[in-house]
Amino acid sequence: MERQLLFSTSAWLVWLAPFAGIFAAGLTRRREPVIEGDRVLRHDVAARVEHWTHGIGTAVLLVSGITLGLRFTPSLLRDSDAAITWMNVHFVAVISFLFGTFYYAANTLLSWHRFGEHLPTKHAFSFTVQHYGRLLGFKFEMPPEAKYFESEKMAYVMALGASALVVVTGLLKVSAHVATVPAWIMGPATWTHDIATVLMLAFFLAHVFFAAIAPMAWPVLPSMFHGYVSAEHAEEEHAGWYAQLTGKPTSVTPISDDKADAA
Amino acid sequence: MSDQELKEPNQFSRREFITGVGGMGIGAIFAGSLARMLLLPDDVLAIPASSGYLLVDTKKCAGCTSCMLACSMTHHGQSNLSLSRIQVTQDPFGKFPDDIGIAQCRQCPYPSCVEACPTGAMHADEKTGVRTVDVSKCIGCERCVNACPFTPGRALWNFEEKHAQKCDLCLNTPHWNHEGGPEGVRACESVCPMHAISFTTQIPVQSDEGYNVDLRTGTPWTQIKFDGAVGATGVAGSGLKK
Repeated sequence: MERQLLFSTSAWLVWLAPFAGIFAAGLTRRREPVIEGDRVLRHDVAARVEHWTHGIGTAVLLVSGITLGLRFTPSLLRDSDAAITWMNVHFVAVISFLFGTFYYAANTLLSWHRFGEHLPTKHAFSFTVQHYGRLLGFKFEMPPEAKYFESEKMAYVMALGASALVVVTGLLKVSAHVATVPAWIMGPATWTHDIATVLMLAFFLAHVFFAAIAPMAWPVLPSMFHGYVSAEHAEEEHAGWYAQLTGKPTSVTPISDDKADAA
Repeated sequence: MSDQELKEPNQFSRREFITGVGGMGIGAIFAGSLARMLLLPDDVLAIPASSGYLLVDTKKCAGCTSCMLACSMTHHGQSNLSLSRIQVTQDPFGKFPDDIGIAQCRQCPYPSCVEACPTGAMHADEKTGVRTVDVSKCIGCERCVNACPFTPGRALWNFEEKHAQKCDLCLNTPHWNHEGGPEGVRACESVCPMHAISFTTQIPVQSDEGYNVDLRTGTPWTQIKFDGAVGATGVAGSGLKK
């Protein structure tokens, strides 16, 4: 029996995944960060579902996409059977990625302030230098950190752009399995998909290093599974955010665009 | 801002709107899938017939590979036999007429290569029905190469440019200053010194014999001074003696 390409036989799932993500977001009730005893809720269930469906999808898409892309020199695929297998792996990852991405996008539309939390300030670069400079022992005076570091916010913008490019061009590529897409669209879409993949890979590697491998990330890494960080960690590393949660005034105002101007 | 604050009288809240968009999308996809399942019969593959077919006479072929060189030159600008979409095979141990074979694409009425292609790169040309490759869509999976039921396969792998290719009856010959395709001329047919390749607009009988025809009948043997052949009127060997 001839093996089937899921992109051809089950393309409808690719169109279903974004709407399933949007629908799920509509039914989701988010929890705002809150201090509960000696721990702080940093990521509610929705945030973790968004993160892992998008993240695992991205990881598998990168592996399968690069495997498919390196078809020739060097060739990672032995024959067309292997190409079909990896295309099907890519398909499964696409479903997870699209669900997670659209679930996140719709959730963000419903709680717009979360989007603002991710956007870098005007001083993102200098504060990032200072943040890591302090870790290296240099003395810098800077406002207390918010929920996300400035470096994370800059990476977020890059990931947002790369994701948007991957989604748009990827859906065009899927369309070519079930309909006639003109070559003048397919050519640029393929190249853009490849370039966005490289951007995504750069972001992914940096993210995995700074969020999981580097020892400074270890205290906060479990929060991506159970949602909580210790209050001690929150107060120490994200003093601005912690102060907002407690409602107590801090000696130094947390980072925001207006405050950063003053800093 | 809460949902209640966003909600105007008789209007949807943002949450209701997003839930509705998601729900309608899911409903539309399921409804579309259901309609497709109910309204369309299974395994329908409507591909227009090609408006032309190459015929060969292997008994006439001298194995000079001029057709292959012409194919490679006109399509790729290179004299590379491996890039030719028509292949002449020779068996040094075989005896006439089984010592030479010509593997030309049959432009199948039910093209396995087109059916196998996951991206629509292998397709039937809209105007002529000729089965050909849109290189910009080819992802290099080689399903078409494997799907071709003939040996050697008529869907071929272009190892230099890394994409599938096949005979397009010279529809797209960037290195040839002639109009190709079913309504034009074909390079292999034009250059064959033995006239062992011909062209027809009628669908041949779907068998080996249907495409391997007798192109010798009617050959003006006397004009080419080939005495002794079928239909020749002169005395055997007389041409040489004179």
